[in-house]
Amino acid sequence: MPMKKFINAPENLTVELLEGFAEAYKKQVKLEGKTVVRATPKSDDKVALVTLGGAGHEPALSGCVGQGSLDASVVGDIFAAPGAPAVVAALEATKRDAGTLLIILNHAGDVLSGEKAFNKAVKAGINVQKILTHEDISAGKDAPLEDRRGLVGCVVLYKIAGAAAEAGKSLDEVVAIAERFNENMRTLIVGAVPATHPANGASLGELADDEMEVGMGQHGEGGGGVMKLASADETARIMLDKILNTMEVNSGDKLFVMINGCGATTLMEQCIVLRAVKNLLEAKGIELVRSMVGEFLTVQEMGGFQMCVAKMDDELIALFDAPCDTPAYTVK
Amino acid sequence: MTTGLDYDGLASVFRAAAANVRSGVDRLCELDCATGDGDHGVAMGRAMDALEKGIDQCSTTSIQTMLEGVAESVESIDAGSTGPLMGSLMEGIAESVGDATRIDTRLLATIFEAGLDELLVISKAKVGDKTMVDALIPAVEALKVAAAGGESVADALAKAADAAEAGAEKTKQFQARFGRARNLGERSIGHQDPGATSMAMFFRGMAEGAASRENS
Repeated sequence: MPMKKFINAPENLTVELLEGFAEAYKKQVKLEGKTVVRATPKSDDKVALVTLGGAGHEPALSGCVGQGSLDASVVGDIFAAPGAPAVVAALEATKRDAGTLLIILNHAGDVLSGEKAFNKAVKAGINVQKILTHEDISAGKDAPLEDRRGLVGCVVLYKIAGAAAEAGKSLDEVVAIAERFNENMRTLIVGAVPATHPANGASLGELADDEMEVGMGQHGEGGGGVMKLASADETARIMLDKILNTMEVNSGDKLFVMINGCGATTLMEQCIVLRAVKNLLEAKGIELVRSMVGEFLTVQEMGGFQMCVAKMDDELIALFDAPCDTPAYTVK
Repeated sequence: MTTGLDYDGLASVFRAAAANVRSGVDRLCELDCATGDGDHGVAMGRAMDALEKGIDQCSTTSIQTMLEGVAESVESIDAGSTGPLMGSLMEGIAESVGDATRIDTRLLATIFEAGLDELLVISKAKVGDKTMVDALIPAVEALKVAAAGGESVADALAKAADAAEAGAEKTKQFQARFGRARNLGERSIGHQDPGATSMAMFFRGMAEGAASRENS
C-alpha cells in the first residue's frame, strides 16, 4: 500500500525519530541508547519513575520525561514493546535508596517485558514497585484485566505520580497516590479513520466512510461498537454516558476530563468535544474541575480521540497543578 | 544421523528454521493485519536475525553456551511480545540442555518441553487461545511420541512440524484470548493466528534442515 509519509528506511524509524526528538527537546531530555531520560537528573533522595512502550505514539510516552513527571522512558519499536534487558538497564541506571516506580501499560508485549524486567530487578536487589494502567472501559469496567488496555490516562498518571515524587514522598506513598488515580480513571476511544503502520503501510482496522467505532483500541484494534458517524455533541454524549456508567459519580463531585486527539482529529474538534462534555456534566451538577485537550498519545494519522475521565480529590488536584516541564506538557 | 545433532548440526538446524521463518515474513505480516497491528512478520524476522547473531557470536563449542547466547540475543529485540516469548522458549531450552555435546531425539523432546514450560511462566495461554502455543504444544507432544518410538531427529522434527502446522491451521476456528486480537472477540474467528503460523514455520525449517543433513 502506498504511504504519503516523510520517512527513510522503515527499519530506522524509531532510532531516527528518537534522535530528532532528543534534539528538539534537549533542554528537557536526552537519549541513552533507545531510552529517553531527563536532561537534568532528579536528585537521588526522590523516587524515580520509569515506563516502557512502543514508538509511533509521539509525543507519548517519551514526551512525558522531564521535571515533575517521568525519569526514563524505555522505547521499543513502532507500536512494539522494548525487550526486558533494556528495561532492566533503565532500572539499574535510576537505582536509588528512595526507590523506583515502574509504570506498565496493559498491552501484551509491555506486560511481558515489564514483568520480566521487574522480576530481574527485584532479584538484583533494586528497590522497585510496579503499577499497571488498565483504564480502557470498552469491554466494561469489570471485564477481565486482559480486556482493559492501558490508554492515554498514563500521561496524567505520570504527571500526578511525578509531582508526588518531586514533593519528596516515599515510594509507598507515591504508589498509593498513583494507584488511587489509576482506580479513578476511565478511558474510551472513538476511531473514525484507521491509521497505517508506518513501517509496512498496513491499514490498522477497517471503517467505512460513514462509520465510527466507540471502544476502538489504541492501534485501531477493534473491540467496541461500530456505528454511524455522529456529531461532536452526540459522540461526546455516547462516550461520556458509557464512562459515567462505570463510575460512582454524584452531583457535587469533581471530574478531570482529557480529550486526546489520535493524530488526524484537529484541536478544533477536540475543543468542540470538550465543550460538549462540560455542558453534559453541568446539567448533571458535576464540576469539570480540570481538563486537558491536545495530542498527547497519537497513533500516526488515526482519526478519532480518546476521552479520559477521572474523579479527583483535593490532593490529586494539587498534584495535577504542580509544576512540570516535559516535551508534551508544561505547568509553570 | 540417528545419533542426533552435534554443535554444528544444531546450529545449522536453527539457521534453517530462521531462514524458513524469514521467507514467510510478508505472509505473517498479512495475517497479523487481519487481527493485530501487522508487524508480526517484522518481529519474527528480527527474532530470527537475533537467533543467528547468537549463534554467530558464540566463541566456544559448548551447545549450552551457544543456546544461552541465542536466548539473550532473542530476548533483547524490541518487538513487543515476540522477544520475551521466543526469548523464554530459548532460555528454557538452554537451561535444560546441560553439558550435552550431542542432541538425540529424546533430549530434543526434553529441551523443547523445558522451553515450553519456561514460556508458560510468562504466558497464561492454553491450547485454543489462538496463540503460538497452539502450534508449540502439539509439536512438543509429537517430539515426545517420536522419542518414545526411537525415531531419528529428522523424522521427529518432521512430525513436530506436521503437528505444529495442523495446530496453526486449527487456530482459524478459535476466538483470540490474548494480544491485540483479543479485543476483536468473535471477529477473530476465521483468521489463522500469525504466532502459531510462525511457530509452525520454525519447526518446518528445523525439520528441513535436519533432513538435508541426513541426506548429505
